[in-house]
Amino acid sequence: MSRGLGRYILIRALMIIPTILILYTVVFIFLRILPGNPILAVVGTKSISPEQLEHLMKMAGLDKPYHVQYFEYLWNILHGDFGVTLAFPMGKPVWDYLKQRFPATLELTIWAFTISVLLGLLTGVLGATKKGTKIDTSMRLYSIIAYTLFIPWFGMMLQYVFGVKLHLLPTSGRLDPGIHLQTITGLYVLDSILTGNWDALVSAVKHLILPAFTLGIVLSGAYTRLVRNNMVDVLSQDFIRAYHARGVPPRKVTWYALKNAFIPIVTLMGLQFAILLGGAVLTETTFSWPGMGTFIVDRIDYRDYNAIQGAVIFFAFFVGLISLIVDVIYAILDPRVKY
Amino acid sequence: MRLKVQVFALVLLLALGVVASGCIGGQQTQTQEEVTQVVIGVTDKVTDLDPANAYDFYTWEVLNNIMEGLVKYKPGTLEIEPAIAERWEVNEDSTVWTFYLRKDVKFADGTPLTAKDVVRSIKRVMKINGDPAWLVTDFVKDVVAKDDYTVVFYLKQPTSYFLALLTTPPYFPVHPNYSDTQIESDATYGGAGPYRIAKWVRDEELVLEVNPYYYGEKPKTKRIVIKFYRDASTMRLALQNGEIDIAWRTLRPSDIKSLQQGGNFNVIEIPGGFIRYICLNTKVDPTKNVKVRQALAAAIDRKEIAEKVFMGTVEPLYSLIPNGMWSHIDAFKEKYGDANIELSKKLLQEAGYSESNPLQITLWYTPTHYGDTEADLAQILKEQWERTGIIKVDIKSAEWGTYVDYARKGQMQVYLLGWYPDYLDPDDYTTPFLKSTANSWAGTGYANPTVDELLTKAQRLTDQNERAKLYEEVQRILAEDVPYIPLVQGKLYLVTQKNVKGVIIGPDMIFRYSTLYKE
Repeated sequence: MSRGLGRYILIRALMIIPTILILYTVVFIFLRILPGNPILAVVGTKSISPEQLEHLMKMAGLDKPYHVQYFEYLWNILHGDFGVTLAFPMGKPVWDYLKQRFPATLELTIWAFTISVLLGLLTGVLGATKKGTKIDTSMRLYSIIAYTLFIPWFGMMLQYVFGVKLHLLPTSGRLDPGIHLQTITGLYVLDSILTGNWDALVSAVKHLILPAFTLGIVLSGAYTRLVRNNMVDVLSQDFIRAYHARGVPPRKVTWYALKNAFIPIVTLMGLQFAILLGGAVLTETTFSWPGMGTFIVDRIDYRDYNAIQGAVIFFAFFVGLISLIVDVIYAILDPRVKY
Repeated sequence: MRLKVQVFALVLLLALGVVASGCIGGQQTQTQEEVTQVVIGVTDKVTDLDPANAYDFYTWEVLNNIMEGLVKYKPGTLEIEPAIAERWEVNEDSTVWTFYLRKDVKFADGTPLTAKDVVRSIKRVMKINGDPAWLVTDFVKDVVAKDDYTVVFYLKQPTSYFLALLTTPPYFPVHPNYSDTQIESDATYGGAGPYRIAKWVRDEELVLEVNPYYYGEKPKTKRIVIKFYRDASTMRLALQNGEIDIAWRTLRPSDIKSLQQGGNFNVIEIPGGFIRYICLNTKVDPTKNVKVRQALAAAIDRKEIAEKVFMGTVEPLYSLIPNGMWSHIDAFKEKYGDANIELSKKLLQEAGYSESNPLQITLWYTPTHYGDTEADLAQILKEQWERTGIIKVDIKSAEWGTYVDYARKGQMQVYLLGWYPDYLDPDDYTTPFLKSTANSWAGTGYANPTVDELLTKAQRLTDQNERAKLYEEVQRILAEDVPYIPLVQGKLYLVTQKNVKGVIIGPDMIFRYSTLYKE
């Protein structure tokens, strides 16, 4: 690794800090300026005395001035402490939930990401190599439709067809009831392979298919378009004509063209990963997938300040990290980029 | 490169093979294990597995399956029968209750349960002082273990319905592993109920297995799996796909209707004790004026609400005390009838309003807490009130945390709320709403010394007929003063696969899983 690249990575890594700080501040302010709080959301309509309410507020640290709450949480985060939940159940470390929920989201996003890239490449390459034909038009149409699909609606359609009508795939959750799986990484497919639990592997894969395809198809549209356009550009260049003139088989030429068209696609992959996590919230809700998305939505219902703040910071850090990795890969892949 | 492509193709093929084998084999072969388990889907959440802090209906249901109290309701009835206590005695003014425990009761890990455990559990609730603690602290002065199998409760005042209170989770003996002073929200030690917790993943799955040490009749199904769903649509699809055997709380009215019509499932209707009502702030204008409140009550058409908004899955309610409960009278029907527009107009005119000077009110609702029919409920109320031609309604909404804050601070004028009972007695449908020392949560600011006196008297009397007379009087005053307008009473619906049998849910609305089985 060159000195310049090392410096670039360091600067990019440091940039994650202000991003997270700004996001935390915005979330903190929004949660506080809205009326109501987690304690009231939990207590609901049941009759408890104002003294008891005050006691609960004090226990949760919500009686302190806002600036104290702000800096205390920030200080704790710097020490790797995400605080404790303020709503059901009270006082459990938020980190325990993040640890439990994040692998589910990660597993879903990895599969969806893979599906979206593969589908995007396949349809994009097909469109570019058959430029001007009906296939090209169909691929372009696919790209637009896929990109505009509304995840909950599309997910429900797939659930209805492959679940209710064809009884082929489960519509919700991560494993069949009654299947026990010893978790190591929290990624069920990987864990079932590592522990040799084949029943769990089948069940985990079956449960992943619909949510991963829902999200994967929706996100593949952007790749289709980008891959097609880049490939069309590359395919019209002189070196490709030279390959053809030398009698290189068309499949090989396509492969060389794809390699050349790949750099902007890597950038898109980085951007898509952030969108992917956002899309995962909708997908998780549609499929009752117990990941970070459903966790955040549940916690918003209860106005659980610490859980929302913690999850947002964790998410932001993760997205920042992925963009950093993508940028580094981009820098390595493209020799024209200098630092 | 070719090798890489071949490896990739092989991996892909393997993956597809795994999926295909799952798809083909998974649905058709049913193992013995699957036969002995029933999967129940819910959209509710388990909030707190500690009875010292749990205070919501669904969590109480789970606690009722893994724990048991001194007494319990006979399945499907309102009749109280012995549970951990085999018999009991009460002194003349019902302030000292003595319970004699069974000698064969054990916790789910085989630890014997004695009077000491009962006393410790109840004192624990009092010490922790969580949300439901008032069910103990408002009534119990002291509780002592006379010997290993005798527990004596000394009450603060005569409480005729003490047995009903004893059926609630704060009175359940908990396993000695529960801390004496701390809330244990994810504790799985349980108590001495028919089931014990085998697996608990919050918001995802709860697996219950038969408690091998249970003193009573063994449950019919070895394992109960509860799956938690984010929304009713996903739960309905899971039921239709055979992923769950029972869809329980709560499907949407339209889902229930269509599943009922399809005929592929058993749809079981259970009369429910939960009520929906409108709160009217008696401290702010214009609802400060009793004539305005009465006019609003008169214009409401409950039948239309039940049919149009809830598609017949609820029934009209004319009192805060639900239909079917002793002492209930149709107080609002007697006084106002239904959709009595003429009376409403008359009252409004008496209050100084007219078509040229209409009554302006703001109706509040909360969008998700009571299901997604709430906006429709608010809309139909607006329509019904505006039919008078003298009322103009502005609708506003706020999410639950904010809504509760507004209500407690009395910042809303007219707003929708609902109530699930804590114990099955008219007291639980009147005192928390109408007694001035107990109703600050509701934000209506209602206070009437006569009502306070009647409720205190009713709480102390032991004769049910005498109590009934007092509650009837309270209901008439309620219809006169109108700090609340009762709207509808919910029914519960449970949809099962055709092979599921043994569903028994009584008026307490608690689903006990021990009678369930599959054919």
